[in-house]
Amino acid sequence: MSEQSSATAVAPPGKPDPAPAPARSPHSGAGWFAARFAVIGVWLLLAVLYGVLRPETFLTAGSFKVVFGSQQALVFLTAALLCTIVVGEFVDMSVASNFGLAAVLVTVLNVQHEWGVWSAALAAVVASTAVGFVNGWLVVKMGVNTIVVTLGMGTFLLGVSLWLTDLMPVSGLPSDFKMIALQQVAGLPISFFYGLALMLGFAYVLQVTPLGRNLRFVGENREVARLAGVRVTRVRWGAFTTAGLIAGLGGVISAAATGGFDPNSSQAYLLPIFAATFLGTAILQPGRFNPMGTWIAVYFLATGVLGLQLLGATSWVSSVFYGGVLVLAVTLSTRLHQRAR
Amino acid sequence: MTSSADATPAGRGAQAPRLAVEDLSITFGRTQVLHDVAFDVRPGEIHALVGQNGSGKSTVAKILTGLYSPDAGSRVSVDGHALSLPVRPDEARSRGVAVVHQSLGLVKDATVLENARVGRLTGSRFLRRIDWKAEAAATEAVFERLGRRIPLDVPVGSLREDERATVAIARALQDISPGTGLIIFDESTRSLGRDALEQFFAMLDGVVATGTAALLITHRLEEVVDAADRVTVLRDGRAVVAGREVAGLDKPGLASLMLGRNAADLEEREPAHVRTEEKPVEVRRLTGLRVRDVSFDVRPGEVLGLTGLGGSGYDDVPYLLTGVSAATEGTVSLPRGPVRVKKLSPAKAVDAGMALVPEGREHAGLAVAMTVAENIAFPQTAPRAGVLPLAAHAERTRAEEWIEKLDVRPPLPHAVVGNLSGGNQQKVLLAKWLATDPDLLVLHEPTQAVDVGARQIIVAAVRAAAAEGRAVVVAGSDENEIALLCDRVLVFSDGVVREELTGEIMPQDVVSAIYTDAPRSRLRERSAAAG
Repeated sequence: MSEQSSATAVAPPGKPDPAPAPARSPHSGAGWFAARFAVIGVWLLLAVLYGVLRPETFLTAGSFKVVFGSQQALVFLTAALLCTIVVGEFVDMSVASNFGLAAVLVTVLNVQHEWGVWSAALAAVVASTAVGFVNGWLVVKMGVNTIVVTLGMGTFLLGVSLWLTDLMPVSGLPSDFKMIALQQVAGLPISFFYGLALMLGFAYVLQVTPLGRNLRFVGENREVARLAGVRVTRVRWGAFTTAGLIAGLGGVISAAATGGFDPNSSQAYLLPIFAATFLGTAILQPGRFNPMGTWIAVYFLATGVLGLQLLGATSWVSSVFYGGVLVLAVTLSTRLHQRAR
Repeated sequence: MTSSADATPAGRGAQAPRLAVEDLSITFGRTQVLHDVAFDVRPGEIHALVGQNGSGKSTVAKILTGLYSPDAGSRVSVDGHALSLPVRPDEARSRGVAVVHQSLGLVKDATVLENARVGRLTGSRFLRRIDWKAEAAATEAVFERLGRRIPLDVPVGSLREDERATVAIARALQDISPGTGLIIFDESTRSLGRDALEQFFAMLDGVVATGTAALLITHRLEEVVDAADRVTVLRDGRAVVAGREVAGLDKPGLASLMLGRNAADLEEREPAHVRTEEKPVEVRRLTGLRVRDVSFDVRPGEVLGLTGLGGSGYDDVPYLLTGVSAATEGTVSLPRGPVRVKKLSPAKAVDAGMALVPEGREHAGLAVAMTVAENIAFPQTAPRAGVLPLAAHAERTRAEEWIEKLDVRPPLPHAVVGNLSGGNQQKVLLAKWLATDPDLLVLHEPTQAVDVGARQIIVAAVRAAAAEGRAVVVAGSDENEIALLCDRVLVFSDGVVREELTGEIMPQDVVSAIYTDAPRSRLRERSAAAG
């Protein structure tokens, strides 16, 4: 509801902006505020609603920890997805499988092939980065369609992961390795802070550094970037490679947290990644993909799902919620982008 | 022709006008963009609708094509029949109103036949198959009316400019029976070169001679003065002139109507500040694309024009010089040192002191979703892609300086470029490259598709950049722009310089140098019937 009213305040529906935009002050008005913070408001409302309906279960340290301590994989995956979206590639569909590959590799190499856990972790991250590099080579150098390449790569990697594990979940990582993910800091696992630091760093780079400016110009208009001296090929290729690196790090941390990995589960991340990333465009910087908006969206979605589960819904609810939010978020993002013009 | 009164060519009788627009108003939010605009288009005339960017001219076009919904009380009627508002394209079409969209509105990869018949293709009764033979026959018949022959099965992208114009006109004309109807040209001619433009008006003249009317929405004053019968001028959303006879109106007169102030000095050129004592920028043996072994000098303070027919290579020079297109050979000597253009990258060209203001601001000029300040600062922030913070304050201050210098409106550094009008976007594009403080400034069609006011500012800024001691090269096909900007002009033909113009350069000189074989004629030789 509040998103709706925010949109209306910016411009009346049914009539597009006139060709010469009137010189309205962009830093004022309820519309300006709502376009940035409405989702956060809805998030708080949701928490209050659940708190009123289920005070005995929702308003507990336990559920707080479930929401904030369990979404690290999603944070890393959305960061990986943002890498390519920011430079104007549609979406990298292979990040979830690439993440799964790293999680499987570190476990299989350590448990079944008796590598040292650190060298196994390094090998897993290198493998994922290499996958990103190959994606980049195919898309940027060979000029193949992004969706086709990454969808194919994702399915291919899923198959490889299943083959490596013989279709079974794998586990058995040493318990001291688990501490890299589970060490408690201020009541939350340290991996929560990894995710926060990653997104803050990403936001910093995009917002205030020349590198981030270049990334965004490449995303907005490749030819303009090239004419200004940006090495566009390198930037795009680098984005795919970085996406692989981040997915790999996320995979290793995720495997560490649970002591292993079920290769079948990586596909379940695909839709939540999209839902969070697109919902993120309706937060903080309306109409624009942005790391902190995405980070908030991840926890918004986790809160929504947990609350519904506490209200008695079973596992179907996450599909309904994530799928529904994705469609709503894309619609909202499209409308906001039109308003922003 | 039918027996009705409409059939009288160029009838100026008492019958209802072909198109009548009355009390047309539109309000966006709290801003009223059009105020009671009224004009009419008579059978058999070419009626021009002109105005600066932001005058409401394209808003009128968007109302007439059904994109915008006007305020209550507005009336649009065709041959005396009121149209329902917002305009429904199918109803308008059935009343004989056809539209030719911006830059002709053709799909390059589709064939001539597909382009001509899209939206009108009819399926057979049962299998809903398209009967291409019948479609082709219908299209041939329209080309026949225009007296042109164009192969139907080739992609539009492979046609010459004037042939594309023919296809666009034919597509509009096919729904109109001879002698009736109205064609609206919504900035259709903006990408046409001189040659194609003359052919375009020759065809249009034949069409209106039958009694069909044309509403020509355009930027080019010459089209109005040379080719239109009457003109309506919009300024700030009001029709300051409605349906005035064009006869006796000249370009400065029209420009002052559009600007609302005397523009007598509009076409006056500042004297040159050529610094003959300083070493010139020397371009030697430039080869690549269509350019073959071209050498020339540009002195600091001088504006050198490059022009020629499309395909003569003059428009490749800017991109070859600045490393945007690959050159096979050539050197440029600049104050910061000599540069080999073979394997030159845009980044190195910027470092060497060159700046390119390319044609097509949306394609290669500006990132329209980013702000004015970000765009202006981009050439400086781009080469060193570090992770240390940007100097946000300095960036804003610099943007404010340029906004003031070039009178960018609205004067907000954080305004999104896509929200500015075309003329203001072009000013931002110029500022972006002037801010790099180049020794050699290269521009391609710097005033294309901008209004008179913005054009004046851009021309002054380019002349001022030269006066500061920069060497300036302008490649362009608009003879008025070239004559206004340049101290010296090189005319290209087949990839080499064929002629050099010096001294006092008038638009006619430029045109006659380009078209040595074909002396320039008026855009439209009115046919006897229309007179």
